Amino acid sequence: MGLAALGAAAALALAACGGSSGSSSGGGSGSSSSAGFNAAVTSVVNPSTHKGGTLTFGDSSTPDSMDPGNTYYAFMWNLTRLYTMPLMTYKSCPGQCGLQVVPDLATGPGVVGDNGLTWTYHIQPDVKFEDGTTVTSSDVKYAVERTFDRTVLPLGPSYFPLLLAPQTPAYPGPFKDRSKNLMGLQAVQTPNPTTIVFHLAKPFADFNYVVAIPQTAPVPPAKDTGANYQLHPVSTGPYKFQSYQLNKLTTLVPNTYWKASTDPNASQLASKITITWNMNANDIDNRLLAGDLDVDAAGTGVQAAARAKILSSASLKASSDDPISGFLWFMYLNTKVAPMNNLHCRMAVEYAANKTNLQTAYGGPVAGGQIASTVAPPNVVGQKNFDLYESTTKPGGDLAKAKAELKLCGQPNGFSTGIAYRSDRPKEVQAAQALQAALAPAGIKLSLHGYPSGTYYSNFAGVPNYVHAHNLGIETGGWAPDWPDGYGFFDFITAGDTISPAGNTNIEELNDPVVNNLLSKMASTTDAATRNSYTAQIDMQVMKDAAILPEVYAKSLLYRSPNLTNVYVQPYYGMYNYAVLGLK
Amino acid sequence: MAAPLDVSPSGELAPEAPLAGVSGRVIEGRSLGQIAWMRLRRDKVAMAGGVVVVFLILVAVFGPLLVQNPDIYHANLINPTFSRPNGPFGGISLAHPLGVEPVTGRDVLSRVVHGAQVSLLIAFLSTALAVGIGVVMGIIAGYFGGWVDSVIARTMDVFLAFPLLVFAIALVGVIPSSAFGLAGNALRIALLVFVIGFFAWPYMGRIIRGQTLSLREREFVDAARSIGARGPYILFRELLPNLVAPILVYSTLLIPTNILFEASLSYLGVGIIPPQPSWGGMLSDAVTNGYWSIDPMYMIIPGLAIFITVMAFNLFGDGLRDALDPRSSR
Repeated sequence: MGLAALGAAAALALAACGGSSGSSSGGGSGSSSSAGFNAAVTSVVNPSTHKGGTLTFGDSSTPDSMDPGNTYYAFMWNLTRLYTMPLMTYKSCPGQCGLQVVPDLATGPGVVGDNGLTWTYHIQPDVKFEDGTTVTSSDVKYAVERTFDRTVLPLGPSYFPLLLAPQTPAYPGPFKDRSKNLMGLQAVQTPNPTTIVFHLAKPFADFNYVVAIPQTAPVPPAKDTGANYQLHPVSTGPYKFQSYQLNKLTTLVPNTYWKASTDPNASQLASKITITWNMNANDIDNRLLAGDLDVDAAGTGVQAAARAKILSSASLKASSDDPISGFLWFMYLNTKVAPMNNLHCRMAVEYAANKTNLQTAYGGPVAGGQIASTVAPPNVVGQKNFDLYESTTKPGGDLAKAKAELKLCGQPNGFSTGIAYRSDRPKEVQAAQALQAALAPAGIKLSLHGYPSGTYYSNFAGVPNYVHAHNLGIETGGWAPDWPDGYGFFDFITAGDTISPAGNTNIEELNDPVVNNLLSKMASTTDAATRNSYTAQIDMQVMKDAAILPEVYAKSLLYRSPNLTNVYVQPYYGMYNYAVLGLK
Repeated sequence: MAAPLDVSPSGELAPEAPLAGVSGRVIEGRSLGQIAWMRLRRDKVAMAGGVVVVFLILVAVFGPLLVQNPDIYHANLINPTFSRPNGPFGGISLAHPLGVEPVTGRDVLSRVVHGAQVSLLIAFLSTALAVGIGVVMGIIAGYFGGWVDSVIARTMDVFLAFPLLVFAIALVGVIPSSAFGLAGNALRIALLVFVIGFFAWPYMGRIIRGQTLSLREREFVDAARSIGARGPYILFRELLPNLVAPILVYSTLLIPTNILFEASLSYLGVGIIPPQPSWGGMLSDAVTNGYWSIDPMYMIIPGLAIFITVMAFNLFGDGLRDALDPRSSR
């Protein structure tokens, strides 16, 4: 379900609290000239080829798993680039350039055959694992096979079981099916050591993005220890695991068998990398500002205290970036719960909502995000700006228009409905209250229903029967796509055929033939330009349906340590590109 | 065990006479109640506590009528970039004497006043529930003894050993948004009263049981029994009036405990549903939303409110105990 897990990670980081320790001296090694606020969003700051030093990461939580086949956190996808080479990856460069998917272990993008049903990749013949053995296509096939066993690797996305041609009996994964030398998956064929062919159940134009997920990073079958593989994933990237004390400290050292010529999207500048887990979030900020720590691995931005410190000092501000993270915070406007099943009642909500207060609820213009008027955030390829409901021109809301829509809806005095939110996410609690306060003058009375985030999709907001029975006309939500194109963004949250009885992500239950048709066209169009032109059309139609009330394109305030070289924000991750960092 | 016939001449001056009982022989026109009141009045600390308690009750009852709407947003008083109120000390101004809430700009004074209503309502109702159950169970256990006492005493042990906080969190989590003909915050308040009151009664029960155990051997009980009084009459007409003092004292001391418990439940997110304010909920916001780091004032105010309330009740309760039972301390 998209990068839902990323949201959980963000919430964890934000919910962390406690006394701050360490000195709050601030200032860092301030003498070095800073490149300026947001400099790393559009360009490389401190470009350098200088080698050496220990690059230190800190994180206020723990990784879901360091196994490239078993992780769904955006920052982990970013970090895995240090020790893995998936078939494809995102080009290492700032700005829109960084949204391109390019070959990594593969020699080129997938070759489509059999009317879109097969995707063939050739892999580089001279890439080696950290022990010197050569990577073959069967190592990639094995990595894909592992993702079929959700009992061993439950945390990563499950695109391969969903997209690949099914076999009977269903393939259970290599931990249970030990036949054929562990090569039992029929939908992936390896005719020779450098060729891998994926057979799909139906055409899927975005397949290059799917193989850019770290799950295609090769895994040697003999070295796989199942759930414990995360303690020492066998490296193909610039760094390899020296040690990993579970959830405490990860130490990476250069992989001597890695060659820059085969992996242009990563580099090997630091002589050692440490990642300390479970640090206090405010402690991380203080250490960053003091120069004791180089990067906050989570990449979701500094805490409120450090935000105040950074933004009120010109020199600190010049060493920070405020990129769009790729997340959209929004409200689902349910199209099935009366009277919200009436378009005009939903439009009334769109007009009456006070977008400024919603933005403040999520943390304001710097730490929260930019007021959104479209469903797709600007770092989705093909996104176009438009504003149907005066979100940016009248951010305080338009009560007159809301009341006019209410009349058209047949509810001139307003109506009552429920709003669902995750009660353990302070920002969503704030947003729900802000919307409640903003809709009250229009006569729309919201009753607040908080649910635990762990079961929000499985038991409450993601269960249409529950939503209908409890009259939940509005549900808070957040979404980031697994890959940055319109299909990746819209399919799960707007396609009619994704409505499911539990774990539903199309919570607004939109089943608009126009949207469905555009999405299915998009899935089968391989020409990138044509495909991306559908993005804005889908976006426009969803907004015309008033099925989603966009709140903010999430932003996070990142502190760019002056010690770092080659720093820039990779827009796909919405954080610094960890694969290329070096030290002065 | 005292034999029923082994009694000293009846109608004597009973030094442990009940608070309002034994009417016939008024000494110099001063009842025991008057004596207690006189002692209490001399105790300046307890009186101060009492005045604060009365003031708090008045605030809780009439305050919400006087302050502004606690749910109105004042976005213009908030710096959106830092999420904190403009101006020093959490945006204190003439219009908002205790400042405004970070992020929303809601008036803190009116939220504290509305929060007082909720906190005190829950504290009083749950105390009443705990005292009601505790007195009945304690008096029965103490008077009848034997297996009745054993059963009740073991039940109290079970209740005291119960992991209450975990239970409360789980219960509030599983109860649907409407049940028992109640919905929303009415349901939450009923639930909190039930959880807090139903699990606090053993404390009261134990004290009452102990008091009853000593009282039931007294002459006046024997006398009542000898003229043919039955259990219920003795329990509620002879014993209960003698228990008024401990009941009063320990209720006063139970109220602050319950206020703190309600605050901790709200703090854990299983208390009152927003936007309805409660003190624990405000503290919780201050910590989980990180307000403490950008606007400490917002954390100090509900914290102070809880502190003052709990202290006032405790001081008053202590003073009351000294006044009613001068042998207990000093």
